[in-house]
Amino acid sequence: MTQSAGSASPSSQRWMKLAVVGSAGLVIAGGLAFYYASKGTKSGNSADTIVVTIKDGTCTPNAITVPAGRSTFTIVNNSDRALEWEILDGVMVVEERENIVPGFSQTLQAKLKAGDYEITCGLLNSPRGTLHVTPSAEADAEAAKPALRAYLGPLAEFQVFLVTQANALVKATQALDDAIKAGDLEKARESWQKARAPYSQIEPMADLFADLHNAVNPVADYLEKREQDPGFTGFHRIEYGLYASNSLDGLAPVSAKLLADVSALKDRMRGLRIPPEQIAKGAARLLSSIAETKIIVGEDHYAKTDLADIEANLAGVSRMMALLKPVAMPAAPEAVTDIDSRMADADSALKALRGPDGYPPFDNVNAESRKTLAQRVQALAEAIGKLNAAVGLE
Amino acid sequence: MKLKFALAASLFALTAAALPQAASAEVSPLDLVQPIADYKIYVSENAEKLVTDTKAFTDAVKAGDVDKAKSLFGSTRMSYEAIEPIAELFSDLDGSIDSRADDHEKAEKDPEFTGFHRIEYGLFAENSTKDLEPFADKLMADVTELNKRITDLTLPPEKVVGGAAVLMEEVAATKISGEEDRYSHTDLWDFKANFDGSRKIFDLVRPLIEKDDSAFVTKVSGNFDAVDATLAKYKTADGYQLYEKLTEDDRAVLAAKVNTLAEDLSTLRGKLGLN
Repeated sequence: MTQSAGSASPSSQRWMKLAVVGSAGLVIAGGLAFYYASKGTKSGNSADTIVVTIKDGTCTPNAITVPAGRSTFTIVNNSDRALEWEILDGVMVVEERENIVPGFSQTLQAKLKAGDYEITCGLLNSPRGTLHVTPSAEADAEAAKPALRAYLGPLAEFQVFLVTQANALVKATQALDDAIKAGDLEKARESWQKARAPYSQIEPMADLFADLHNAVNPVADYLEKREQDPGFTGFHRIEYGLYASNSLDGLAPVSAKLLADVSALKDRMRGLRIPPEQIAKGAARLLSSIAETKIIVGEDHYAKTDLADIEANLAGVSRMMALLKPVAMPAAPEAVTDIDSRMADADSALKALRGPDGYPPFDNVNAESRKTLAQRVQALAEAIGKLNAAVGLE
Repeated sequence: MKLKFALAASLFALTAAALPQAASAEVSPLDLVQPIADYKIYVSENAEKLVTDTKAFTDAVKAGDVDKAKSLFGSTRMSYEAIEPIAELFSDLDGSIDSRADDHEKAEKDPEFTGFHRIEYGLFAENSTKDLEPFADKLMADVTELNKRITDLTLPPEKVVGGAAVLMEEVAATKISGEEDRYSHTDLWDFKANFDGSRKIFDLVRPLIEKDDSAFVTKVSGNFDAVDATLAKYKTADGYQLYEKLTEDDRAVLAAKVNTLAEDLSTLRGKLGLN
């Protein structure tokens, strides 16, 4: 951000004073810029400043090579119009300085990964220059064991995902509650299925809250008096009414409680502080339980919509892995590639069960198909289970 | 006018950069997850509003309703200006949505001059919707694409936190001088949106610095309040007065406060360990 020319003459005393205060710095920065500009520096270690002079829609130099890591650029505007200078990775702006006025220069620091970038050179249609960033030992070491900070972006995006799905869950559960209160069995069934998808997508995190998990998603098999047990609440209690009893009798208080519980879940998702290792850990844990239990004995005993749940489970896991990928790929390419191919295997085993009308009722899926699906999901769980160690998170 | 402010802003930034940063040891990256997630939601909501508002705006342009299109111009831009630190990461869309005539070789006559300011030129300088339909369609397609890309984007944390200062620098460089919306003179709408966007970022990270740096927080919020109070004088029933109504005294107050905010906010990244 150093301005380094003396042609502007601030009109008021105040501005003059500011200019004087900064002038020592300007002189030094200007001198440096001039020194480097006259030397025609093209590259060097990260302590050097690379001077890029722009005139008549051309950058000088027009092809720059720097090592990965931090670089400092000083952009001198020798054209007759104010301009912005950008480092572009495809269409994405990596760094930029705006409003560099004619006769002035600005400095910017960029932390760059190895690769090929473009630099802008004046007007929007001016030909661009190239910036080639070569691998460096320092940058490679940093990528091999990503610091906690590297996960900040993915973790924030994960939280957005959790909150978005939790909002969808609350909305669908509200519709379910409304339909039950209105005595509309068909609408209630439809809303119940709609609510299962967002719940299944965030299940790896939702099941961290034991109290809510036990209220929202208990299965009769694990309760002493099965369907007659007072602890039989939540989704499957409502499912039992909608699909086994074909009746809405007694469901109104259950759906009201479910709505309160998923709303509480939403609030907890928003405040959830997730360390990065929890993502792979949670995904692997859920997948193992799907392979070992859900696919073998089923969970939606009355609606028989287990395959739709599993599809949403896999979609959630896939999202989690996609978020980690930009950080994990440079650190552990084999582990990431392995996860990708196991994910594709699990997906194709599931999709193979899909008919023209969607997934069949789960009791129509034969033992052999279940076994294949369970094996693929288990293999995915194992691949994801290796990720934390591979990126140095444990 | 512009040069003066740009120069002052840079001097401040230079000074700020040269001073040792306050200790940032207390802020763990995990503390920043929620503010950045909340900011993503804010950006997404604005991007959706931009799509909705641009639909109404471009429909008016295409219907040949000059008065209606003019009345929607200022408000439609606000959701873009509020999220500019993220929106401008997409260089192709930023160029086609929000470039000014100056950015193009043949200025207003350049065939690549498109987007908001091209339509603004037609509506306000030529007082007509003649030949604007292709620009309206392109703008609508571009904001729709922007919304989609934002949904898929993992926000770079340093761009989020750095965005608070970037927005204030943007105000200092192009809004206080009245050169952004040079045909419509709706610069104060943009100013307000940039201001709100900057304050949103500050408010989100504020709890992380309040305890250790309460003097900084008090100073910055005081300056935000002062800018807000000055801007509020120009509020009308449906938006803001035209740029030329801004008095010389208020312009001076805004310039000084905005430059100080840009300077102070440029230290946020360092304070939060994101340099």
